[in-house]
Amino acid sequence: MTTGKFRLAVDIGGTFVDAMELDTQTGQFRFQKASTTPRKPSEGVLNAIEALGTPLDDVDLFTHGTTLGLNAVLERRGAKVGIITNEGFRDIFLVGRANVPDAHMYDFQYARPAPLVPRRCIAGVRGRLDYKGRVVDELDEDGVVKAARHLTEDHGVEAIAICFLFSYIDPAQEQRAAALIREALPRVRVSVSSNIAREHREYERTSTTVLDAYIRPIFERYVDELEGRMRESAFSGRFLIMRSGGGAMTAEAAKLSPTNTILSGPAGGIAGACFLGATLDRQDLISFDVGGTSLDVCMIEGGQAVAAFEAQLENHPLLISTYDIRTIGAGGGSIAWFDEGLLRVGPQSAGAEPGPICYGRGGTEPTVTDAALCLGYLDPDGFLGGDMHLDRDGAERGLVNSIAEPMNVTFEQAAAGLFDVLLAKTVGAVRQITVERGRDPRESALLAYGGAGPLLGPLVGREMDLREIIVPNAPSGFSAWGMLSADVVDDYSRTHIQLLDDMSPHALEAIYQEIEGEAAASLQRQGVRPDGASLTRQLELRYLGQEHALAVQVSSNLDFAATVQAFEEQHEARYGHRMEAKVQTLTIRVRAIGSTTKPPLFKLPAKSGDVSRAMVGTRQAFCFQRRDKTDFAVFTRDKLAPGDRISGPALIDEGSSVTVIHTGQSLVVDVYGHLIVTALSEGPKK
Amino acid sequence: MVAPHTEPIDGATTEVIRHHFISAAEEMRMTLTRTACSPVIYEVRDFGISIYDSRLDLVAEATGLTRFLGANDYSVRKVIDYVGREGLGPGDVILSNYPYWNGAHTSDATLTAPVFAQDGGQPFAFLCVRAHWADLGAKDAGYVIDSTDMHQEGLVFPGTFVFRRGEPIREILEIIRFNSRSPDIVLGDFDAQIAAIRTGQRRLAGLLEKFGGDRIDAAIGRILAHGEAAARRALADIPQGVWSATDFLDDDGITDEPVPMKVTVTHRDGRFGIDFAGSSPCVAGPVNLPFGSTMATCKVAFKALTTPGEPSNGGHMRPLDVHAEPGTLFHATYPAPTFTQWTGIVALELIFKALAQAMPERLPASSGGDVPGFMMIGVHPDTGSAYAISNNDAVGWGATTRHDGADTLNHPCQSIVRNTPIEVMETRTPMFFDRLEIIPDSGGAGRYRGGVGLRRDIRFLADGEFLTVMKKTKTRPWALLGGASPDATRTILFPGTSRQRTVGTIRVAVAAGDTVSIRTAGGGGFGLPRERSPADSAADIEDGYVTGSGAAPDLGGPAVKAASK
Repeated sequence: MTTGKFRLAVDIGGTFVDAMELDTQTGQFRFQKASTTPRKPSEGVLNAIEALGTPLDDVDLFTHGTTLGLNAVLERRGAKVGIITNEGFRDIFLVGRANVPDAHMYDFQYARPAPLVPRRCIAGVRGRLDYKGRVVDELDEDGVVKAARHLTEDHGVEAIAICFLFSYIDPAQEQRAAALIREALPRVRVSVSSNIAREHREYERTSTTVLDAYIRPIFERYVDELEGRMRESAFSGRFLIMRSGGGAMTAEAAKLSPTNTILSGPAGGIAGACFLGATLDRQDLISFDVGGTSLDVCMIEGGQAVAAFEAQLENHPLLISTYDIRTIGAGGGSIAWFDEGLLRVGPQSAGAEPGPICYGRGGTEPTVTDAALCLGYLDPDGFLGGDMHLDRDGAERGLVNSIAEPMNVTFEQAAAGLFDVLLAKTVGAVRQITVERGRDPRESALLAYGGAGPLLGPLVGREMDLREIIVPNAPSGFSAWGMLSADVVDDYSRTHIQLLDDMSPHALEAIYQEIEGEAAASLQRQGVRPDGASLTRQLELRYLGQEHALAVQVSSNLDFAATVQAFEEQHEARYGHRMEAKVQTLTIRVRAIGSTTKPPLFKLPAKSGDVSRAMVGTRQAFCFQRRDKTDFAVFTRDKLAPGDRISGPALIDEGSSVTVIHTGQSLVVDVYGHLIVTALSEGPKK
Repeated sequence: MVAPHTEPIDGATTEVIRHHFISAAEEMRMTLTRTACSPVIYEVRDFGISIYDSRLDLVAEATGLTRFLGANDYSVRKVIDYVGREGLGPGDVILSNYPYWNGAHTSDATLTAPVFAQDGGQPFAFLCVRAHWADLGAKDAGYVIDSTDMHQEGLVFPGTFVFRRGEPIREILEIIRFNSRSPDIVLGDFDAQIAAIRTGQRRLAGLLEKFGGDRIDAAIGRILAHGEAAARRALADIPQGVWSATDFLDDDGITDEPVPMKVTVTHRDGRFGIDFAGSSPCVAGPVNLPFGSTMATCKVAFKALTTPGEPSNGGHMRPLDVHAEPGTLFHATYPAPTFTQWTGIVALELIFKALAQAMPERLPASSGGDVPGFMMIGVHPDTGSAYAISNNDAVGWGATTRHDGADTLNHPCQSIVRNTPIEVMETRTPMFFDRLEIIPDSGGAGRYRGGVGLRRDIRFLADGEFLTVMKKTKTRPWALLGGASPDATRTILFPGTSRQRTVGTIRVAVAAGDTVSIRTAGGGGFGLPRERSPADSAADIEDGYVTGSGAAPDLGGPAVKAASK
């Protein structure tokens, strides 16, 4: 381990690779983008690092966000997997939960996608536990080896997923089967369900195990190659990979459980939002990430993003910890069209190619970005710091042809109408996550990032009467910045269904200690020093008869009365009532955290003079308060200083994004340089 | 049809208002599922939430089960007719579950509430929240399969105020409390429905304040016109003609006689008529369908054909006419029993059976044809607590002109519902599963084969009551254009013993050691089996979907009695 002076975070997106460098001595950040290279993803990562020019031999910590596992599944490029399960239950993986996705509820010609594992590659062997983990039928050891040989020799299977009923209670049969296969067929990779997700529900556990087996080889190859190339450039720091449910893990640990990285796309931004929310003392924060094709919102309560313990990848359930994110198909590239009298926006997107009309790459359908240009929010000559000229006339023609003429309105009205519709969809998504959590959006702050977040955020705030909108520094690179704050995290879980009344604190303590032993060992393997490690206990509880459960934090002394009280309070807060029924445990959870030194939030120096130092002129743009074009004062962000105040209408430009505040809103720059947008007190409200 | 621009509302504002209505319905749904007590509501999604305008046209609805959506359209008119508009005021809520008006069995309780503009006057909108209630004192706990009139099916409310001007009517709630076997859950779910209504009222009040009643009215006019135009555009691509189909429901739950069903679909001059003339009169047992439920089934079929991708509004349904004579199977009248709603499930594919011959590229062959449901009720030996756990099993779906039918999915009428995991059922009940596997050769053969069905072998580890509901075990799922019809669904009670028998719907006491085997049907095939590509046939054999034992494809034929083992 070295003590280099730089930290580096690289996030691979669909269009761009974002690279963020932190100089830990000066607190300075630098940010660069490179194009994504789908055929050889490591290439784009190295290009982005090269663009930054960071000396790799002076990098202490490299944190990487990759959607490689996700893409391997979407593109069906994973390993050839076989499944060994109980005799009589060969079809658990293929039947699944027997449901079609909600989007296909009226599609009576629905075809199931080809399964990741065809039926020929699934074998049942004798052996069975009951719901208490008692052996009903001994494992047929010869049968295991025979089945494994059949799958590998007759069907070319490279990796075997083992999942037996009730293995979450007693993994012995699974572990024995794995040992037998490893001994007989040392070259075959084996994934064992009780190692990967020791939780109940056989299909979900099998699916998680299959995905692990499916992506592991490709993930290993990628990490080894990237790490090798970086080591060639004398990189000798720590290499972390972002997890889907918060924090990061070492590259070595990620190779052993790659499913934990699979949905880590939005994780960097949310990690950053949690960190900022805690630092700025914003208890209820909504992270609002608007990119080119989609908008992700997530609720952050008391510095913690709302978590989920199950995720969906295409139609495959995954028992991993993740964030509870709502995504809608609305972003800068979303296409607008006129449909039988209604103005529609999204979910179709012009994507990176051809992109919006104004990019001049062959796009012909008007997008949100084209409307933003026509409304005056974007400077045609200042986009991406002037690197890219935007074709305003083309955008206007597109809006006229597709929308304004059929609607019989001006192009400006068409563009404003497009924003109205986009806003209605966006507000719906934000409102739903707050309603779902039983929270009042008016008491929440919105953290707006991603390329188009600062443009839309203040409009959403105005529409929903939010307390404030926060625009972080370098909002389009915020996800990469957030990765710099990621701790080393590992999650352990075990389904244990029992009435709390029937359980002794002593027995529960024994289970916790067993799990904590595994969790602490994981942190140690990942190089976390014992003094930097902490373990937190959670217990998922439910009323007897319920299917869903709520997770409550439990203290180390396992005070059952306090635990039940916490559960009932949470139940009432979330669901509006308590019940008479007995309380039952469902899943025992331990999160291990190896805390990372957070990137310092440096206070910006004061600057002389008033805010006029940052003003570069005025631009005609559309104000949603007046519903008309008016003069917006234009400021350049890097000249702003703490304490500066700006009243709308105004535009704050920073090349890769623009913050738009309307009449009736004002902005103050906080000590760290964040833009805090609020409604003018006593200001006109609509 | 593009509305003239002289209207006081533009296409952008209309779309904004449309999104606000849909978002309001979704927020109502989240409030309901977030605060409901009963797993049937928050997990099986046994509910329907809709918003109507002052003329009682559907403006928006929340996502839920297809066959629940649509029943509200019928019930809201009946309820408002019954209570009259004159006496309605802000904060009023009306409860109804009278089957013939509510379009469902008595367990589905609908709350209807008017929404007023702040200045009083006439209601500007109506909200409906329908949800399944655990128990209202019907003759049997759990589910009723053999009632002979409505009065055995639980407490009935025709259209009864449960809130007046925002104040609960305690006497009514006490009547519910004293008539239900599980009053806490029922009243908890009632509170959740009220919370959903309050959410909707708040959101609509905000909408009114923002846009004003006139603009919202104008927007609703355009939203409905848009829905109608979209449906008509889709209909223009569908062939015109008159088509009929017949089939049989197994029995009425009282006698063993098959119940004939017939549908005639007429598509002509922009109208799409569905007529059930020729079906059985009302029968003695609880398979009669209230007309509102028949309408809901027809709407699902019509929606699937015309505008499957759009959130529903009343405009989408304007070209649809549904007819069933009062007093018949598809239009139950007092006091006909209606508890077992499986007729609506089977009728969906009866409509498709009529149409598929004429438009096979749009509709598949029959699925397994039914929702094979089972339930176990008893007291768990571990906890001493009562349990009632149900599961709907998967069937094969029908083959299409382009691909094989999907294997082992929930029936199309509730395809988004999930089955119950083995590990959950074995933990919560004394059922032990010896097998859950596909049945080889159960998909109808064809150029494209039907999806395969499922075999589930259950062993009981303790005494209890076991219930199955399946109403299409006597006729095979139909095939298309030369495909084969597979075996029908069946339940084999106590196989290998002297008590063995093959049944459909049954409620039976079981003892520790007893076994039951459920065999669900696959889907019908499409096209001649000999036209199947050799590669597909070889893959089927390699994967074990077909045994290749040379069994001649069965080409259907007359209704058959379910095969015994």
